[in-house]
Amino acid sequence: MPLLPGVEAMNNIKKIDMLTRVEGHGSVELVKDGGRVVDVRLNLHESPRLFEALLVGRRFDEIPDIACRICAICSTVHKVAALQAVEQALNVSISRRIALLRELAVQGGQIESHALHIFCLALPDYLGVNGFQGLAVHAPEKLQMGLRIKKLGNLIQEAVGGRAIHPFNLLVGGMGKMPGADQLQRLSGQLSEICDDVAASIAYICSLRDLLPHLAIAPVCAASGGPSLFGDGLLTSTGLNIAASQAAVWLNEEIESNTNAKVSHFSENTSFMVGPLARLMVSMPQKYVHCFPDHSIRSSLKARIVELKMAVERAQLLIEQLLADGQGKEQPVTVVISKGEGTSIVEAPRGTLLHNYCFDSRGICTAANIITPTAINQGAMANSLKELIAAMDGADYHQIRGAAEILVRCYDPCISCAVH
Amino acid sequence: MKKLRLAIIGLTACSGCQLSLLNCEEELPGLLDLFEFHLFPMACSPALLEGEYDAALVEGCVSTPHERELLLELRKRSQYLIALGTCAVWGGVAALRNGEDREVLRQQVYGQSRIACETAEPQPLRSVVRVDAVINGCPPEKNELLGLLADLARGTLPAEIDYPVCTECRMRENLCLLTEGDKLCLGLLTSGGCKARCPSMAVPCEGCRGPVPEANLAEAMELYAQKGFDRITVLERLCRFYPEWKL
Repeated sequence: MPLLPGVEAMNNIKKIDMLTRVEGHGSVELVKDGGRVVDVRLNLHESPRLFEALLVGRRFDEIPDIACRICAICSTVHKVAALQAVEQALNVSISRRIALLRELAVQGGQIESHALHIFCLALPDYLGVNGFQGLAVHAPEKLQMGLRIKKLGNLIQEAVGGRAIHPFNLLVGGMGKMPGADQLQRLSGQLSEICDDVAASIAYICSLRDLLPHLAIAPVCAASGGPSLFGDGLLTSTGLNIAASQAAVWLNEEIESNTNAKVSHFSENTSFMVGPLARLMVSMPQKYVHCFPDHSIRSSLKARIVELKMAVERAQLLIEQLLADGQGKEQPVTVVISKGEGTSIVEAPRGTLLHNYCFDSRGICTAANIITPTAINQGAMANSLKELIAAMDGADYHQIRGAAEILVRCYDPCISCAVH
Repeated sequence: MKKLRLAIIGLTACSGCQLSLLNCEEELPGLLDLFEFHLFPMACSPALLEGEYDAALVEGCVSTPHERELLLELRKRSQYLIALGTCAVWGGVAALRNGEDREVLRQQVYGQSRIACETAEPQPLRSVVRVDAVINGCPPEKNELLGLLADLARGTLPAEIDYPVCTECRMRENLCLLTEGDKLCLGLLTSGGCKARCPSMAVPCEGCRGPVPEANLAEAMELYAQKGFDRITVLERLCRFYPEWKL
């Protein structure tokens, strides 16, 4: 039985049965004419949970708890994005310590997600194995190294958020329990210890042979804050600077018949790409320029490992600042409920994430809009797939099919997020 | 020893239960001595449903005709079928507005477009198939997941948890967030097993593990009323993970 609906070959269309080693449910459809693959389509089949409808009618302080359930891998960044949007709507300001801790949690999520993708989901392609089971046999030391890095990302998320998935300790205006200085110092030590693994990983990932032909990168956009992953707007490689409040209009999401995720059409009608490569293209630290000789989608794994290193360094810096600031008593925040609207933009591991909420004078949510990286990337992914089959014209069906799956993984899609 | 053949599948959900397994970073390589992760599309290729399984671990709720068919097929092929996590056991967050007109909710997101009109109210697995064991939690605790795998390796299944979060919270000698902190904590109605993770960090229990067997809703409501929480507020909060509370 097929694992996705309607996956049986129909006429000259062959679908790749359910994409694997990605989050959620999707497939790629290859259209054949005789022996040639002539077209390709990406399908995101995920069943919508209708989060934007579920949130309407709930009180402001429930929004982050519910919205983070959109996705597990990205739950910390969903939680933080939702908190910021709610706080903006209700004019709640948070202390510097809370802001630093939230960013620390987001960097922890970045480390965990990138390590998961690099070492469990993508690396098997390069070594010709089926997944972590194959890695455990053929490259056990690489798997162990990846899992050590991944675990540290989770330890950071747990220390701040209380839990690696669906963090509960991050609240509107503050936190439940602050991590103590001893906990932060322990994390700092663990971050120092992981640096050798991260350096070895960069060298290793950069040494892997390319699996795909050169495919150009679409115009890119990312939150304006650079390595902090936060920002009050979007910067694009085409020179635009878009305020957060205008971002949803610029992204211009529309409903299309072939996908359950809304598709961004952008004001320019050009598809933009978001994610690790996009962030680096927007603000590339000089020391990594040599890792990206060709501006190509196939460099996405390198972009992830470089970003992973940046996240480790950033986490160390944040902990240093937290320890230097000391552990003074946090003043409880009183929320004055009022009518309002808030929008926040945070860079999730897979790219730009936007949460927007409106509240009435009782603090009840009247409208919600959530735009996720994988939804934004749909156009760029579809274009890349088309370029791939053009570049591989004449190749065997099975080769194209394999390459298409690897190409989709370059975008590390998170389909639960995309559809929500 | 012959390895146990597992199917690990996500239906309508966030993949958090499957990620909880992948988050067992230290134990994961060792698990490969005991289990063959034959069907685990999130982490292993290819996704082939073939042969029989010693156990199927299913995350998520059922919300499409296809998911229903897939679940029936998994049931047929598996000795044990385990509901993994709150969505699979109780319906979870996706079900929180069950009982309302789904078409109205759909239109709030998709307008008049016919996208996703085949989906139905999210239901827990037991509305479609017999379930042999459950692991609660949004997300489940790692130690419960590893405990389940250890039980399967021994040829048994985990016992149902029959005590509330409150029991573990008292054992940890936490300040009571409801009686002493005046917060809407759902620990007394919620199934335990999390070692009172949230109340131990001064965050009220949000009920993510679903109702404890024999939950005394009437008595709890009196206690909540004494603390100034009205019935509707409490019920709404309870329904975040299990919509049937309202019945």
